[in-house]
Amino acid sequence: MISTLGIVVIALYFFVLIGIGIYGARVSLKTREDYFLAGRGLGSIAVFMALFASNITAFTIIGHAGFAYEVGYGAYGYVIGWSIFITPFTFYLVGYRSWLLGKRYGYATQPQVFGGIFNSKLVALLFLVFLLYYTLPYLVVSIIGGSLAFSTITDGMVPYWISSLIIICISLVYTIPAGLRGTVWTDIFQGTLFMVVAILLLAAVAHSLGGFTEITERIVRQNPAMLQRGLSEKIAPINWFSFSFVNSIAVIVFPQMFTRVLAARQSFNLKRVSLYYPLAMAAIFGVSTLLGVWGSAAVPGLTGKDADNIVPLLIHQFLSPVWMILGLMVILAVVKSSIDSQLLSFTHLVTDDLLPRFKRISSAQAVFWGRILLVVFAAAAYYIALVRPAAILSIAAFAFSGFSVMLPVMIGALYWPRANKYGACAALVFPAVMLHLWYLGILPGWTTFGFMPVFPAFVLAIITLVVVSYLTAPPSAEQREKTFGIFERVFDYEDKEGEEKIQPKSS
Amino acid sequence: MNFKVRLTLVALVVLGMFILHNSFWLWNLDDRVPLLFGFMPFAFSFYVGYTLLAFIAMRIIIALAWPEPPADLLQSAGDKESNEQ
Repeated sequence: MISTLGIVVIALYFFVLIGIGIYGARVSLKTREDYFLAGRGLGSIAVFMALFASNITAFTIIGHAGFAYEVGYGAYGYVIGWSIFITPFTFYLVGYRSWLLGKRYGYATQPQVFGGIFNSKLVALLFLVFLLYYTLPYLVVSIIGGSLAFSTITDGMVPYWISSLIIICISLVYTIPAGLRGTVWTDIFQGTLFMVVAILLLAAVAHSLGGFTEITERIVRQNPAMLQRGLSEKIAPINWFSFSFVNSIAVIVFPQMFTRVLAARQSFNLKRVSLYYPLAMAAIFGVSTLLGVWGSAAVPGLTGKDADNIVPLLIHQFLSPVWMILGLMVILAVVKSSIDSQLLSFTHLVTDDLLPRFKRISSAQAVFWGRILLVVFAAAAYYIALVRPAAILSIAAFAFSGFSVMLPVMIGALYWPRANKYGACAALVFPAVMLHLWYLGILPGWTTFGFMPVFPAFVLAIITLVVVSYLTAPPSAEQREKTFGIFERVFDYEDKEGEEKIQPKSS
Repeated sequence: MNFKVRLTLVALVVLGMFILHNSFWLWNLDDRVPLLFGFMPFAFSFYVGYTLLAFIAMRIIIALAWPEPPADLLQSAGDKESNEQ
């Protein structure tokens, strides 16, 4: 049970979030760019925490610990190993070039960036449709996961439907008035909170289990299989390899992540984020992995979905009730920091890329519509989270893969001048159709050659982009110049500008 | 150094990190390498090292192929917004 002190602490936490929302609304301008992109003025810490906190979900603390409980220390490398490097690398590979185009041409979303590069409304529409299609289930699953965790950790005192309502309402309280600025400021607060509390929680659990060395030696004695990756079927090499194409490369495709990259003030901010992002991700997933594996020795015998409760169980059984309050705050922080950004991105896409197809709206009207739509989509997401329709949940199962197979088109658009709109359209649609055929069981499993469907779909996206682009007319010189002229200046392709670069600015 | 050469070096860094992540032949060491700091088995400590390598790799990539943009290139972003006011 949550004590009075707990209720007071959580109420304080909510008041801080509400205060951030109110203050954010006072300093925000009523322009589209300010509301959805914080005026493209985010500094290093803001971008870092925004990307980090938005990418940490209930899975990080709950689901990943449950996975580590089952497969052992190998869960760490399987889930986050490749991400540690490739996710920040995509901030460079895709993020920086998109950021340059965003700064130059005012692009604010993927449909604008890639529709602009290919000079194609159809490419923009396909990006819009696929991003909305995959984001909605991802958002709903985040709400479901967070609400279940919230309900579990309060021993059912707060039922699921109220947990969902609280999580969504609190997210709206600061997102509606302050837009991206509000979500980023709360990300800084919440990201710092859950990082600090997670590390303290690890130390406290280790202490109560006899210390880091003692609990590890117990695992070595009782269940040495937890140390050996080769003994777990779930992380067999072919799955391990395939999983490299699931969550790690999808991150930059998530609209909430892409938008935050575009909102960076300077290139320097993105560089710093790319450098330090691996350390933060490795730390938080490291904590979650250790808690899960230690839990397998401390609370043995959990199977299936029950294993996902290992962190709340560790807190219940081995720590004082104060930790339950802190644990609850961590759950709320990780859940809300991802839900608010997903909701805002969803609204941003509709406001900026769908509404203007029907009606010209001014910048101030875009903010007004953004606020209205936030409420509408939050209500819709809440309803879906309560009903949990099978169709939505089955799409969520491969939403990450869906995002991943869009990456080849994004890279092709930014690096290959010969890529054209026909190739892009085909490479967006064909792999997505194949993913559905595989995941919905319409095509037999052997057609993926033992890999997870995302890998062959990713390869198909590359082949389709290249083949269709070569078989159709190339982009016009003017169109290519619009994008690659910028890159040639920045990246100094021919290394001709050396002299110019060393001249002092004042001259 | 030509940008294409620099980009090739970046690709090699990425390939190296990918091979290292998928180095299944090292899995045989999981129960042979001693615990790091008394609580990190090889399957875990490998990725602690990998994280440090990722940091170094990103530093190299930034130094090789992430130039700052010319100031005049980035000046027109706000125009679209102000025109709409």
